[in-house]
Amino acid sequence: MTRWAMVNDLRRCVGCQSCTIACQVGNNLPLGMFWNLVTTVGPIGKYPTLGYYHIPRPCFHCANPPCVSCCPTGASYQREDGIVLVDQDKCIGCKACVMSCPYGARTPNRELGVVQKCTFCADIIGQGKEPYCVSTCHQRARIFGDLNDSKGEVFRLVYEVNATQLMPELGTDPHVYYLFPHGGR
Amino acid sequence: MAENMEQIRKSACFFCHQNCGMLVHVKEGEVIANQGDPDHPLSRGGMCARGQIALKHHKHPARVNYPLKRAGQRGEGRWEQITWEQAFDEIACKLAKFREESGAETVCSAGGTHRTDDWARRRFMNLFGSPNVFHTSHVCWIPTFMIETAIYGWCAFDLDLPQSKCVVLWGHNPGSSYLPEMRSLFDMRDLNGTKIIVIDPRLTESAAKADLWLPLRPGTDAALALAWLNVIIYEGLYNQTFVENCCFGWDKLVQHMRPYTPEWAAPITWIDAKKIRAGAHMYATNRPGNIQWGVAVDQIGKGASAAIHARALLRAVTGNLDAPGSDLLCGPNQRMITDEEMECNEQIPEEKRAKQLGSNRYKLVAWPGYNKIAELTKRVWGKAPPAEWMCEAHGPSVFEALLTGQPYKPRALLVLANNPLLAYPDAKKVYRALQEVELLTVMDYWLTPTAMLADYVLPAADWLERPTITSTYGCSDFVIASQRAVQPLYERRTDFEFWKGLAERLNQKEFWPWITLEEAYFDRLRPLGYPANNYDEFVEKIRYDFPPREYYKYGRIGFATPSGLVELYSQTLEELGYDPMPTYVGLIDNREEDSELAKQFPLTLIAGSGFMPYYHSEHRQIKQLRFMRHQPRVQMNPEIAHELGINDGDWVWIETQRGRIKHVAELTQGVHPRTVCTERGWWFPERKGEEPDLYGVWQCNSNVLTSGAPEFCDPMSGSWANRGLLCRVYKVEKENLP
Repeated sequence: MTRWAMVNDLRRCVGCQSCTIACQVGNNLPLGMFWNLVTTVGPIGKYPTLGYYHIPRPCFHCANPPCVSCCPTGASYQREDGIVLVDQDKCIGCKACVMSCPYGARTPNRELGVVQKCTFCADIIGQGKEPYCVSTCHQRARIFGDLNDSKGEVFRLVYEVNATQLMPELGTDPHVYYLFPHGGR
Repeated sequence: MAENMEQIRKSACFFCHQNCGMLVHVKEGEVIANQGDPDHPLSRGGMCARGQIALKHHKHPARVNYPLKRAGQRGEGRWEQITWEQAFDEIACKLAKFREESGAETVCSAGGTHRTDDWARRRFMNLFGSPNVFHTSHVCWIPTFMIETAIYGWCAFDLDLPQSKCVVLWGHNPGSSYLPEMRSLFDMRDLNGTKIIVIDPRLTESAAKADLWLPLRPGTDAALALAWLNVIIYEGLYNQTFVENCCFGWDKLVQHMRPYTPEWAAPITWIDAKKIRAGAHMYATNRPGNIQWGVAVDQIGKGASAAIHARALLRAVTGNLDAPGSDLLCGPNQRMITDEEMECNEQIPEEKRAKQLGSNRYKLVAWPGYNKIAELTKRVWGKAPPAEWMCEAHGPSVFEALLTGQPYKPRALLVLANNPLLAYPDAKKVYRALQEVELLTVMDYWLTPTAMLADYVLPAADWLERPTITSTYGCSDFVIASQRAVQPLYERRTDFEFWKGLAERLNQKEFWPWITLEEAYFDRLRPLGYPANNYDEFVEKIRYDFPPREYYKYGRIGFATPSGLVELYSQTLEELGYDPMPTYVGLIDNREEDSELAKQFPLTLIAGSGFMPYYHSEHRQIKQLRFMRHQPRVQMNPEIAHELGINDGDWVWIETQRGRIKHVAELTQGVHPRTVCTERGWWFPERKGEEPDLYGVWQCNSNVLTSGAPEFCDPMSGSWANRGLLCRVYKVEKENLP
């Protein structure tokens, strides 16, 4: 069974926001709505001993998504392949999920009166394509694939290189992983 | 293929000169999508934010789509739509009149950072008889190209990364500006442990990933390079075999470098001597290694050539030249017809060459220096670099001539892919100069501040609408060919068509045998000998040509210098009347020599740094990008900001002795407490375009702060200073807030 997951290699991310715009353009988002912001951390330290890095923040498609369990209408749901989606017809825009997501991954669409978020580009990945944010990345800093594929790059990075989750203590078991910079990089 | 089927066209993005490969999906003659081309040898499928918005650019409602003729006063913003035929007839008629009355040299042309077929422009201008063709070449790579070519016969810009052990990014931030190159650096670091040294006053995207970051005081690159030379020479880290066998003037260089110790350089560069040594050691002992070109070093002004020259010598003394893993002297493309071979340079007579504005002062990148260099490169390589870029009038000198009438007054300025009000130093002087032009034409995508002053505005085809050849102006040994995705919308045209249209009306018809740009391109590629019948077929089947690597070419052909060796003591520069070895020259605003000035303007300025997602003065009207960076920001250290009572997000004035502009303060530890950095190219397409507003061009334009006066320019290369100016920063008063 496929379990979609993503690894962000922060050693390579330069914070160019190509993925932010790729997501916006590819998913035809209204201006000002972002499903995938990249946040800069730092500069950390004092001149000239400094470092900084960037964290791309899509939806984490958690194994235990609080946004799904809190949804009063059943609009938020999780597919068998792990992707968390919002059924736009069922969503009433109550924003309970916005409040419950610890990663700030959900955005209200005021025009439509619903909540939206990163879908891992569920509409295109079935066709052998990668999410827009992944294919656009010059640095190959984003790696997308099936976590259950033991020959895949995502499997290797998560289980052998020990890519880490953000705030694992919350028990959400996010399926977006990070390779953090080390040694000042 | 049926018209209504979806086609994929192999195009190249032209929003910067990386020319990333694009697969453009076209249906019924319309672009429906574009994606990065995973098979492209350089970009490998990547696409930055600018590539992403190509369709929005292509279909943007504010694009100029038809030729426009000024209907009211200059800058009034009243236009009459005319046909291309009328535009050509009227412009050609005026050009002929100017040539007749006051000489062909009174017709000048300003080009931008590529986006154009510069060979076509030079071909037209050479045949027309004017040498006054310019870009912003004096502050972008060309000083580097020509100084390096003077020293070792070509510019060593081809980095052999797969075998490199150490890469120096000198005033260069590929993490923002050259994303495909950054990926290669990451790949090599992961694969080979290649070390990365970043020399930059700012903690840039690239510096954050470096093994060693040397944050120097803006514009003092020459001091750092000289100190590295001193360390490498006097600590015996040089490549003895190479300097003995391949170099000319070693003993003189050793003597010349004696005073430039790291202890001498430390107070100038604001880097401590230990760290300067560490950098020199890292570069000299991790061989082979590379020094990547960075635009910052070309933008120092008066001292630019010393910095470029010293940096070039670092390669020479370490033997990091044309050896595996080092910086390669690729030479001109041997098999295709290069830009230079398309330019008809032999057509412009000596008497007209002598009229090139600025060429008596800044000789190296104008006819006097170019003649020498071209002769030497032709002897060794069989070909010369293009005269476009390498042999140009000096922009600020052209504007000076417009204002003073000395040595003569230009009458026409044909602008393409350029926005002189933002591109050249002392923007307000440029503005006054443009008022003096009798005929100003601008070919562009948009009504820019400069276009607002024009007599004719002509609609330019964007990259989806034009084919592109990537060959570093014919200076690299490879070529990549890309096709147009669609025919231009409305009445947009390529610059090739612009020049051809004028040429046909000015007795040049026989020199322009091609009907389409593709025909001209295919003529250039035909000698490669691939089985293709036309340009599109070449792109679809062949796409690119990379000749096999040949290392140590100098063993076979020598270096293209007077001695045939690497000239540590440059005879070419000496013959032109310049220093044959680099000598430190202070900054144009020199705090050491002028303490009064330093008191008034206590901070050191980088006047206009490039940044994502924009390219130079472009793309501010694309909302998706503007949302990421909606207003100009000046980087400054919290320590100094606190002293000045400035908070993050405050509007502040940045003032030099030449003028002042506004930016929003961005407080960051990533710069030295005495360094501030403004952004390049800001104008506001959403504001009023008519005079006196001109889209807010005076508000935040970093070139209000700079100067192109001769006393501030580099005598060898003509570089003007955007780096290391003295400035002060203070809060914008309530009544002056934007």
